[in-house]
Amino acid sequence: MISARGITKRFGSLTAVDDVSFEVGKGEILGFIGPNGAGKTTTMRVLTGYIPASEGAAVVAGHDVFDEPMSVRRKVGYLPETPPLYPELTVGHYLHFVAEIRGVPKARRSHRIGEVMELVGLEGWEKRILGSLSKGYRQRVGLAQAVLHDPEVLILDEPTSGLDPRQVVGIREFVLNLAQDRTVILSTHILSEVEILCGRAVMIYKGRIAADGTIDELRERAGGGTRYRIELEVGSDSRAPAVGALDAVTQVSPLAEADGFELLEVKAPRDPRTDIARLATEQGWGIRAMERHVPSLEEAFLAIMGSEQ
Amino acid sequence: MSVAWAIFKKELRIYFVSPLAYVFLGVFLFLAGLFFYLGVTMTGEASLRVMLGNLSITLLFLLPLLTMRHFAEERRAATFELMMTAPVPLWALLLGKWAASVFLCVLLLAGTALFPMLLAYYGDPDWGAMATSYLGLLLCCMAFVSAGLFSSSLTDEPVAAGLGGVLILLPFWLAGTAADLVKAEWLREAMRDLAFLSHLESFTRGVIDTADLAWFVLFIFGFLFLTWRSVESRRWR
Repeated sequence: MISARGITKRFGSLTAVDDVSFEVGKGEILGFIGPNGAGKTTTMRVLTGYIPASEGAAVVAGHDVFDEPMSVRRKVGYLPETPPLYPELTVGHYLHFVAEIRGVPKARRSHRIGEVMELVGLEGWEKRILGSLSKGYRQRVGLAQAVLHDPEVLILDEPTSGLDPRQVVGIREFVLNLAQDRTVILSTHILSEVEILCGRAVMIYKGRIAADGTIDELRERAGGGTRYRIELEVGSDSRAPAVGALDAVTQVSPLAEADGFELLEVKAPRDPRTDIARLATEQGWGIRAMERHVPSLEEAFLAIMGSEQ
Repeated sequence: MSVAWAIFKKELRIYFVSPLAYVFLGVFLFLAGLFFYLGVTMTGEASLRVMLGNLSITLLFLLPLLTMRHFAEERRAATFELMMTAPVPLWALLLGKWAASVFLCVLLLAGTALFPMLLAYYGDPDWGAMATSYLGLLLCCMAFVSAGLFSSSLTDEPVAAGLGGVLILLPFWLAGTAADLVKAEWLREAMRDLAFLSHLESFTRGVIDTADLAWFVLFIFGFLFLTWRSVESRRWR
């Protein structure tokens, strides 16, 4: 549905986005992550056709954004970084206006606006003036305008920024519901959101793609992926060699030792805990803890950024 | 076309939900009344010549305030990004905005309809000249709105856009006034040609001169074209 090929955007001597390529399929939610100023917004603006790329091409919903901008605009819903609202208008008038310019047929307009307002939690807010809304409600109106025309592709620039935790949950549900038959790209610097919402993430750092993969793949890149932390009762010597000798285990490293127990970190392709438990029982060692440690996306993020530097 | 219509309605709605349109109408009608009174008492003619001439200069200063927010404010509120990513052709955006401001001008001019009625009651005005005078004034409005739109497309700052609009229009007024001071014949003529008042003159006499009409049309489309280029080029930077 979305294909970016070598997108580069220069502003004067500054290269904001440098040779960015990726693909997003139908039904996929792609997370765009990266620190502020990494080039997320610029990339999204190129994809929507708001700004032309200096080099490279992008095809969105089957149309080249540069050659057929109007076809792309009809099929894309876009929430910019700042919700694009006219502060003087009411919610109802504003959504009506957007429905008109987005080409929602007149007969369906009112019904569709009601539907979308319910979807984003704006029921009963038609008469409110946009300029008087709080940040969270502005964001909701921003989302509503992006989905009014039922677009095939949704591009959301930081959809949850500035929202309180309850609102964040609401917007997450909203995006998950929408994504079933659509393609969504969303940018954020809240990594836990990507973990919940996105099947795949593209990490952008200093205008370049630093990583592109499923969330698990990104974690894997952070150094080894899942590990197991086992606390075993020690005797006169370490239990590490015996644990390492198990078929299921690829690597063991003792991390610490305290009050008769030692902490082992175990790497294994599959969960080795039952094997270790069986071994400990046979040998008569006490077990205090066996836990699975999944590196968070934050760790992956920092590790990948560190390796880029 | 339906998109231009949607933009036209939206712009008018914004005018009328903010105090701007009302303050504008008030100031304009007050000045129109003043010019009408002075014109009629000073000349003793049953004509709107003085009033309409003065109003055209008033509009030169006032209309950029009406158009200043068109693009400047859109950019500040990030709604420009919406306009440029929704299926809105640039011509529809320009036409909708231009037409909304011109429509407000029509309302302003309609507000002065009381004065011809007074003239008709107390005297015997030349209706033909009256009609062409109004047409001339409307052409002035259209021209000033175009220039104001252009000014608004140049900056993100509405106030700067408003003052810039006045600055763009001033030469088209002052060239005529300053022409008398110039000795060189060709330059004097050129400066007169540049001034809008010399092209408005035939209209106030009850004549529709094709050359003068063409001057206004050229002015309107010239500035709309410049606005088009300016809006388009902003996206490349």
